Amino acid sequence: MSAQTVILGMGNPILTDDAVGVRLARDLHRRFGDPPGVRWLEECSVGGLNLMDVLADCDRALVFDSIRTRDALPGAWHRFTAGDLRETMNLRNVHDANFATALALGRLAGLRLPADAEIHIFAVEIVDNLTFGERMTEGMEARYPALLSEIGEEAARILGVAKQ
Amino acid sequence: MARTIHIDPITRLEGHGKITIFLDDAGEVKDTYFQIPELRGFERFVVGRPIEELPRIVTRICGVCPASHHMASAKAVDGCFGNECPPLAHKLRDMYYHAHYIHSHIAHFYALAAPDFVCGPDAEPATRNILGVVAKVGLEIGGSVLAARAMAQEIQSILGGRTTHLVWCLPGGVSKGLTPEELEKIKPMVAKLYDFTQFSLQLFRDVVLGNPAYVELILKGPYTLDVHNMGLVDADNAPNFYDGKVRVVDFEGREICKYAPHEYSMYIAEHVEPWTYLKFPFLKQRGWKGFVEGIDSSIYCATPLSRLNVADRMATPRAQEAFEEMFSTLGGRPCKALMAAHWARLVEMVQNAEMLQKHCADPEITGTRYRVVPQRITGEGVGIVEAMRGTLTHHYTCDDEGICTSANLIVGTTNNNAPIHMVTKKVAKSLIGPGKEPDQGILNRIEMAFRAFDPCYSCATHSLPGQMPLEVEIVQGGQPVRTIRRGC
Repeated sequence: MSAQTVILGMGNPILTDDAVGVRLARDLHRRFGDPPGVRWLEECSVGGLNLMDVLADCDRALVFDSIRTRDALPGAWHRFTAGDLRETMNLRNVHDANFATALALGRLAGLRLPADAEIHIFAVEIVDNLTFGERMTEGMEARYPALLSEIGEEAARILGVAKQ
Repeated sequence: MARTIHIDPITRLEGHGKITIFLDDAGEVKDTYFQIPELRGFERFVVGRPIEELPRIVTRICGVCPASHHMASAKAVDGCFGNECPPLAHKLRDMYYHAHYIHSHIAHFYALAAPDFVCGPDAEPATRNILGVVAKVGLEIGGSVLAARAMAQEIQSILGGRTTHLVWCLPGGVSKGLTPEELEKIKPMVAKLYDFTQFSLQLFRDVVLGNPAYVELILKGPYTLDVHNMGLVDADNAPNFYDGKVRVVDFEGREICKYAPHEYSMYIAEHVEPWTYLKFPFLKQRGWKGFVEGIDSSIYCATPLSRLNVADRMATPRAQEAFEEMFSTLGGRPCKALMAAHWARLVEMVQNAEMLQKHCADPEITGTRYRVVPQRITGEGVGIVEAMRGTLTHHYTCDDEGICTSANLIVGTTNNNAPIHMVTKKVAKSLIGPGKEPDQGILNRIEMAFRAFDPCYSCATHSLPGQMPLEVEIVQGGQPVRTIRRGC
C-alpha cells in the first residue's frame, strides 16, 4: 500500500479568523497542486471520532488550524505534532471523544492511522472566532500573505515538494 | 540548549462553561449563573443572500449537527418557494436523517454517556472515556462501535454525497436520488445497524439496569425537573425526527399544545437575561414566569427523553417494545429523570434503524421524481426538525427576487437553556451548603447533568479528555471565595 498524506484545513470559512486554516489549505493546494499520494481536504470542521475517520488509511497528516494563547500576537504560529497536542481550537468538541482518545481507539481497533509524530499541526494565533463574517480581522488579513509564505515553506519541506 | 515552549490556549478560559454560585451569609446556595460564549450574528449574516443558498450556508453554523441545520433550512426554503417538494424527496431526506441520527447517537452514547455508567461516575477523569469503556467491556466493542458509525456514515455518503457540509437538499427536493445499485449496498448495512441497536440496548440492560446504584442515580437525586416536554410527532403522536407537528406535554402527561411549524411564533417566545447571550425560550401563551418548576411553569425541555415523553407510541414495532420497557422500568410516562435521556437515545436508535429498513423496502425509494424546480416565490417558510439535541426551528422570509430579508433560528440547545440553568442550581444546592465544602466532585456531578442534555453551544466550547472545561466560581458577600477549575 503506498504512503498517503492528507492535508486538512480546519475551521469555519465564515467565522472571521476561524477561516485561517481553511484559507491556508486552499491557497497551498493551489500552490502545490496534487503531488502523488497527497489528498487535500481544504475545509474540515470535524473533530474527535469524525476526524479519526478522515485520517483513516493515511500515514501522514498536515493540519492547518487556529489557536488562541495568552498574550500572543495575532498571526504568530506554532508547529507541533499530535504527540504534543493537549488542546487546540477545533480538534475537539464536547459531543464526541477528543482527538487523542479517538486516535487511541482507532489504533486499538486496528485501523491504519498516522503515528502521532506524523500528524503535523500548524496553529495560527487568531483574534476573533465568535463572529460570523467572510473576512478575517484587519490585522490577520494584513499578516496573511507572510503567514502563507512561512507556513508554505515549512509544509513544502515536509511534503518534499519544491517551493513555488 | 533545549527549550520547552508551553502553549496555553486562552480558549480554555474563554471557551468553556462558567458557573457562578452565589452563597448567602449562612453558606447556602442563593443563586447560580451558567454562562457559555455563543457565536454572534448569523441571523444578520444571511440577510441579503439568495434564499436558496441558506441550506448550504447553515451547515457552517456548527460542525456537530450540520445535517440538522441543512434539513431544517431546506424545509424553510421549500416554504419560501411554495412547498412543491415531491414525496420521494421527503422520503430520501428522512432516510438520510435516520442514518445521521444513528451516527450521532452512537458517538454520544459510547463516547460520552457510557463512561459514566460503565466506568462509574467517580472514576478518574483520565479513564472515564470510551477507552475506559473498552477496557471494561472488551476490545471487540470498540471495533463494533467504529464499524457501526462507519456504516451510518457510509449510508449518508451514498444518499447525500457527503456527510459534512451537505449540498444535497435543494429548493423542491434533493440533487440526486438513490439508484437500485446503491440501495443494494445500503441494505446489508441497515441490517447490521439494526443488530447494533439491539446490542446497545442489551449492553444498557446489563451494565446500567443491572446495577441498582445506577438506576438510583437516574431516578433519584437532583437530576429531575418538574418542567414540560417538547418534541416533533407524526399524525399518530409517534416521534418523527424530520417532519410533523411540535407537541408539548406537561410533566403529568397532559397535552399543552400542538402546532404546525408555521405556527411556532404563536406558541414559543424567547426571554432575554442581561448576563448571557443565549436566550431562554418559553411557552408564549403562559408568559415568562422565571426559572420555576411546577405545573404552571412556562419552561420546557427538548431532549431525546422529551421526544419520548410527548409521544403516545413509537413509529415502529421493536422501538415500541423498547419504549414500553423503558417507561415501565422508570415508573411510567412522562419521566422527569433527566439522565434517562441516555436510554431514550438508544430507544430512538431502534426506530431509526427500523425506519431505514422500511425505506429500503419501499419500492418507490429508487424513483426518479426527487425534485421539482419551484415555479413561484411565496416569501416565507418555517422548517422544524428534531436535531439530536432538541427541536430545531428555522424561519426565513425573502423578497420577490428570492433574497433573504430575515432569518430566525431557535436551536436545540437554546430550548434547553433554562432547564440546564435550573438543574445546575439544583445540583449546586444539593452539594454545597454549610459544612459541605465544594470540591472537584461538584464538577463531576454538574457535568453529568449537562451531558444528559448533550448541549451544543455552537461549537464555542472545547473539551479536555473526557470532560467539558468548566470553571465554578463561588461568591459570598460580593467577593469570590473560591474558584474550582477543571480542564482550564
